[in-house]
Amino acid sequence: MVGLIGKLLIDAAFLCAILAAVGYFLYSQKDEERYFKISNWLFGIQGLFVLGASALLLYLVITHQFNYYYVFEYTSRDLQFKYLISAFWGGQEGSFMLWMMLATLVSFGLMKWTRKPYRGPVLFFMALTQIFLFSMIAGIHLGDFTLGASPFRSLAEAMPNAPFLQANPNFVPQDGKGLNDLLKSPWMVIHPPILFFGFSMMTVPFCFAMAALWKRKYNNWIEPALPWTLGANIALLTAIFLGGYWAYVTLSFGGYWAWDPVENAALVPWIIGTAGIHMMVVQRKKNSSAKASIFFAILAYVGIVYETFLTRSGILADSSVHSFVDLGLYGQLVVFMAVISIIGLGMFLYRYNDMPNPKRELNLMSREFLTFSGAMVLFLIGLIIALGTSSPIIGRLFVANPTPPEVSFYNNWTMPLAMIAAVLTVFGQYIFWKRQDPESLARELTWPVAASCVIALATIMIGGVRNIEYMVYILTAWFALIGNGVIMVRLAMKQPKVIGGALTHLGFGVLLLGILASSAYNSNLLDQATKNYNKAIVQGKVTDEQGFKKTQKVNFLELKLNEPKIINDKYKVTYEGYTLKDQARPGQQEYRIKFEPADGDGEQFVMHPQVYPMLSSSTSQNIQWSVDPDVRSGLFSDVYMYVSGSSYVEQKNDQLKKQNKGATAQPASSTSDTTKVQKIKLKKGQTVSVGDFDLHFTNYVPVDSSSLQDSTIVAIRAHLQLMPRGSDSSVPVEPLFSVYSQNGENWSYAPPVQIPGHNGTIQFSSVDPSKGEIELTIRGIDKKVKDQWVLLVAQEKPFISIVWLGTFILMAGFSVSIFRHWDRERKKS
Amino acid sequence: MKPKLVFGIIAIVGFTSLLMYNFGNSISTYTNFKQASHMGNAHVVGQWDDSKDYGFSMKTKQFSFFMKDEAGNVRRVIYPKHKPNNFEQAKRLVVIGKMKNGVFYADDMLMKCPSKYKTVDASQFKNSKASNS
Repeated sequence: MVGLIGKLLIDAAFLCAILAAVGYFLYSQKDEERYFKISNWLFGIQGLFVLGASALLLYLVITHQFNYYYVFEYTSRDLQFKYLISAFWGGQEGSFMLWMMLATLVSFGLMKWTRKPYRGPVLFFMALTQIFLFSMIAGIHLGDFTLGASPFRSLAEAMPNAPFLQANPNFVPQDGKGLNDLLKSPWMVIHPPILFFGFSMMTVPFCFAMAALWKRKYNNWIEPALPWTLGANIALLTAIFLGGYWAYVTLSFGGYWAWDPVENAALVPWIIGTAGIHMMVVQRKKNSSAKASIFFAILAYVGIVYETFLTRSGILADSSVHSFVDLGLYGQLVVFMAVISIIGLGMFLYRYNDMPNPKRELNLMSREFLTFSGAMVLFLIGLIIALGTSSPIIGRLFVANPTPPEVSFYNNWTMPLAMIAAVLTVFGQYIFWKRQDPESLARELTWPVAASCVIALATIMIGGVRNIEYMVYILTAWFALIGNGVIMVRLAMKQPKVIGGALTHLGFGVLLLGILASSAYNSNLLDQATKNYNKAIVQGKVTDEQGFKKTQKVNFLELKLNEPKIINDKYKVTYEGYTLKDQARPGQQEYRIKFEPADGDGEQFVMHPQVYPMLSSSTSQNIQWSVDPDVRSGLFSDVYMYVSGSSYVEQKNDQLKKQNKGATAQPASSTSDTTKVQKIKLKKGQTVSVGDFDLHFTNYVPVDSSSLQDSTIVAIRAHLQLMPRGSDSSVPVEPLFSVYSQNGENWSYAPPVQIPGHNGTIQFSSVDPSKGEIELTIRGIDKKVKDQWVLLVAQEKPFISIVWLGTFILMAGFSVSIFRHWDRERKKS
Repeated sequence: MKPKLVFGIIAIVGFTSLLMYNFGNSISTYTNFKQASHMGNAHVVGQWDDSKDYGFSMKTKQFSFFMKDEAGNVRRVIYPKHKPNNFEQAKRLVVIGKMKNGVFYADDMLMKCPSKYKTVDASQFKNSKASNS
């Protein structure tokens, strides 16, 4: 019932969007106010319907109605409330709805603030893109073809061929599959909305560019479009930053960036959008780059649609760790992309000769030329990343079954371009604010160049940089930082409002420095023994157990419980044990790794990497463990670590394996003859170690006889504390020892007590009151005391803080620019 | 033609061909062990051969197992990290690395898992019972 209403709401909203688009089209052509009013109403109602449908979907999720495919696929009963809400955008359909809601919000802004003659066409194109988004979730059947995948489809509709559903179409699963554990993160709550807000706003420059082409007014669209484009850029940048930070602190690939297609999907539009901003700024000042500004505005949105296609069509399923699965939208996404590109570029070519030409002057010292060069460099970087991301498609030109490109492809191409961009920012900024000839420019740049050289040299020497490309890179980055810094200070003294550009470019320089330091100078934290072992490997002296030569270095840090190791003469690192934290995620272990300064004085800290069973993919036969790294952030370097293995995890796996074997091989066999039996004697207050446990004997006490059989002569209970070694929690075990008489003979009665969460048992087998000593019979636990260990991957990452700082400066710079352009716009209207 | 235009065209063509050439070199195709021995970095696709020994060695800190590629060749694979957690469940493995002396030294390994909340199969409904609503 709810599903039907949801579907109807989406269909009605779809219809409203189409009607609104028609209305905006008529308004654009006929310029009659009533068309605009009606269309605005229709579009507003469309927004309400989408909101209603989203609320219904959320309702289905919160009330756990697993007969709906979406609810079954992405949620489960044990999800916390905040993750139930974020599961709404955990799948393709929901994230399309989120995108549409945010696009509606943006459209309201456009209705209010856009002036004639652009507002009709702008809103027409906005509605058009909304129609495309609707087509992805409409779920309308047209013969054999279904338009879009409805979020409200039932299990039976989603999987018509599943036998259990054919047998019983009304089948409702008791629980859903749940959200992927990696998505159960606070970042999941904020990252997608910001990303899609960025996508929605990036639609605006496209709409304005199209409106400019339609109305043949190629200049005035810049001013109203600029704040939106800047806003889109900040939103995308924030989303990229959050995504990178999320990956860094919760995934185990060990960094904030991996050139994964899904990361690139947000980066490419951001870069092209930034190129567009450059052209728009020039166009606003001098009306000389109408073509380029329109072209980039169109391209930024085409980039968003293209990357949406890549990540949502399933084409990247092999090459990305987190792209969506194909929902059968492949064809529709191709159409979306084709239509947007054809309309956009077609209109562009159609009006090409009509657009004003820049005055023919190739003056290398003009701000137009420099800004244009900057935009072109950005565009090339975007193009290269898009090319790499497209390897499953474009790679077919070279090989039949292409793999993703090596990471070096991205690095080798973007690095030199980034260096060129860094240098251009300074020249561009110096010339942007003041007409310069080569001589005056050279004079002005003398000091910044000298300062950059000195500081770069110092950086190279202190950092021990050997690579020549890195040296040049460092020089250009410092040049960008210092050159733009000088400009910014000068501007700030006269006109603080206009420092946005200089501040952004300064941030770019900072970001470049941070990226190099944090990615090229990572080092694994290893103890001396492992380092020597690695040296031997490099010399080819190590063979493994099977007699093969070992060629790969060991990057693990192995720590035994309470046995410190010295690392790099800097830290003394100790594994201090673990805590079971069932309340966070059932079965989660939090490890305690203590870092002390090697020489004794100074600050010490404890890191807490975690390991937990992935609920969504673990089965009763196999626990799939996942890790949550811990990062200790510092001003100069971060320490990053995750647990690769531990004795606890190993023991759990063994235990499970034994259970499975026992269950399948000998279901009826008694355990008595196969399990290990050992007898140990203990005095009061004594602790012994057996297998993975420490056993502490506190005391024994007589048992209240009323609870026992009448024939009992004596009954005592031993108070024992059983502690899994390394854990800081213990379980009390209180086995009974009693003697009773039957037929004139004395018998002892001492039932074995099961160890909680373990197969073993403890039996109180005899007592020697004169010595205060008891004897315990322990079954199912290894006699040998087992080492407790943890295998870590730990890295020191220098200057990640600088990456974040650079990103924040970029955001601040863009924000200053928004305020400036927005302020001017507001005064006009 | 104007020299400026010629220069521009040469620059664009040169850049594009260099880029595409480099791109072509940096991607490779999914292959098998036999061919991998003639290649530098190779991506080999296959399945875990569970009839032979496998495991992580605490001594040499490496995970080794045998993999059968799509052409049926079985080779030992050495992976210098811990055993990936979903290893046993993986339907298909992609190992990325180099073939040396009949052993594949993988730097990276990707797993295609059947049940990773992606495809639905009936076995997942084991613990649930039918009800009407």
